[in-house]
Order: sequence, then C-alpha cells, then structure tokens
Amino acid sequence: MHLPDGIVPVEMALAGYGASAALASLSLARVRALPDPQSEIPRVAMLTTVFFAASLIAVPVPPISVHLTLAGLMGVMLGWFAFPAILVGLFLQAVLFGHGGVTTLGLNGVILGVPALLASGIWALMGQRWPVPAAFLAGGGGVAASLAIFAGIVLAGLPLALDMQAERVALSLFTAAHLPLIVAEALIVAGALRLLRRVEPRLLPHG
Amino acid sequence: MWAKGIAMSQRNKFAFALICMGAMLSAHPAAAHAALVEAQTAQAIRLHAVYDTGAPMSHAQVIIFAPDDPARPWGQGVTDRDGRYDFIPDATEGRWSVQVRHAGHGAIVHVNIGENMPMIVRSSVETGWLNRLLMVVLVAWGALGTALFAVSRNGRRDASA
Repeated sequence: MHLPDGIVPVEMALAGYGASAALASLSLARVRALPDPQSEIPRVAMLTTVFFAASLIAVPVPPISVHLTLAGLMGVMLGWFAFPAILVGLFLQAVLFGHGGVTTLGLNGVILGVPALLASGIWALMGQRWPVPAAFLAGGGGVAASLAIFAGIVLAGLPLALDMQAERVALSLFTAAHLPLIVAEALIVAGALRLLRRVEPRLLPHG
Repeated sequence: MWAKGIAMSQRNKFAFALICMGAMLSAHPAAAHAALVEAQTAQAIRLHAVYDTGAPMSHAQVIIFAPDDPARPWGQGVTDRDGRYDFIPDATEGRWSVQVRHAGHGAIVHVNIGENMPMIVRSSVETGWLNRLLMVVLVAWGALGTALFAVSRNGRRDASA
C-alpha cells in the first residue's frame, strides 16, 4: 500500500510532505514531553526494523499480492514514536528496495502513519481495560484506515486522461483483496501482545 | 409523325445516356469494396509491466507522452493479461515517457528514441532476493546497534546515579 513516484500530481506530493512534516513535529513534541524518551529507543529501533522488513513479505491474494502494513502494531507498541519510526522505515524501503517512492514519501507517511496514531489512540483508550478487543481493533482498524486513506488519495489524484471507471474498478478489487489483511493484522497485534506478556512483559506497551 | 418519331428517339437516347451516367455514378460506391493494403516495417516499443513480486500487471492502463508534449498524452491503451503492451511511436526523436498504472500502483519508463534506439529499458533496477536479504540484515544490524547503544548508555547512567 505504497504510492510509487509519478502516480500523483506534484501538488499532492508536496501536500503529503507538508502533512507528514506537521505530524512528525507533533509526534516529536509529544515524545519530548515523555518522562524518559531515551529508554524507548531500543524498542523503537527494533520495531522500525520489523516494519522495514515486513515490506518483503508478500501474501498472494489472487489476482494480486498484498504486503503487511503493520500500522496497528507500530501504533500500539510505539505510541507517538510510531510516526517518525514509520517515516524512517518508508524512506529506507523507497531508497533500498524501490518500494514506494521518494517524492511520495510524505503521502506514504500519511497513509501508514495516521492509522498508526489512530491505533495508538485506540490502545490508550481501551488497552488497560479490554486488551484483547483493543488489540484486534487497533490491528484491523490500522489496515482499514490505511486502505481508506490510500484509496482517497489515489481517487483524488487521478489524471483526467485516465479511464476513471476502469481505475475505480481496479481500486475496488485492490481494496477487496486487502480485506483478509485486516483480519491477519488484527491477529498479529493480538498474538504479539500475548507473546510479549509471556516472554518479555517489559516490552509491552504501557497503554 | 416521322418527325415525332425522331423526337421520341432523341428523348430515348437522352434518357438512355442519363441511365448510363447514373449507373456509372452508382457503380462508384461499389468500387469501395476494393481494398488497398500497404505493408511496411516499423520499430515498435514493447512494454512488459510486472509488480515487484514478479506478477504481471494485467489490464493496467498505459499512458504515452511524446517528447514534444509531456503534458498531453500522445496515446493510451491497456496491457494484456501478461502485462504486455506494444506501440509504434511516430518519428519524433527524444525521450518518450510511458506510465503504466493499476489501482494506484505503477511506474514510469522513459525510452530514448533516436539514432541509437535502446532495446531494453527498465523503470527501476531490479534487486534480487540475496540483495534484499543483505539490505535487511544491514538495517537490522544498524537498529540492533542503536538499541544496544541506548541500553548500554541507560545502564551507565543508572550506575552513575
């Protein structure tokens, strides 16, 4: 669910950079307000690697294949750290693998970073009292929100020369193919939290 | 009576001439059944669009931009089931740009058309699985180093406190 270079108009790409810069500034300001932000760096570094490597995992859902987004997991585990961590992961994916684009880095930050912040909010609201439903909602909701933002940006940036109807049909099929991913990522978040509770409770998000 | 006969004959001749002309004129559309076909060789651009997983970009939309007008599409089309699309550019020399897109995914490829026409042009450099694995290991190593550095720094700070 990464927008490549050259797909959206330049104005939209610039707007994406503006939105990402604003969200990154907000996130870093909230991080600075934490009592000990340095202590979170190991967790952020490890999860950034997990997010970066997740782009290699392609799950075939005929007629296309889908990639894990891990927006929900990043949000739940990292809170306000999630947005800058996702930006770093997206930059490395674009530069090293050509997955996504450099000009669309800002938009891709919005596509995956905003759902991560939403997942973080869900976990902060519900995580202490109802951890399992909160994990499912954050994981699945992260993918659903990413899909919605991705589809909205693609539709808003369609060039006039394109066959709109054909692109809308293709986008509908693309969205339908990602529906199993909503369930998969809900299970991933719930499973990861369950595993951490048993193996290393210190790594659990604080909620 | 004889003069009248002559007059009738002239009228008949005139009518006959008119019918013949009409027949000739009406025969003109029938000549359209004939066909003229010219055959000449031309150098075509063959696109093959695939996702990074190797799966073909079936039925993706293709937009072609000529070098002299990069704002307005020169041509459009749709790839086949295997992600292939062929087109024959006109004589305009320079950098032709072709965008292939499907559901928000796609790529732009640039083809230089001139004296030395390239045979194969790729929109991006392909990375093999070994390269990808190496990159992941390097990034993981960097992240692990960062994590260990942060842990050791926190440990030193706790010890000194």
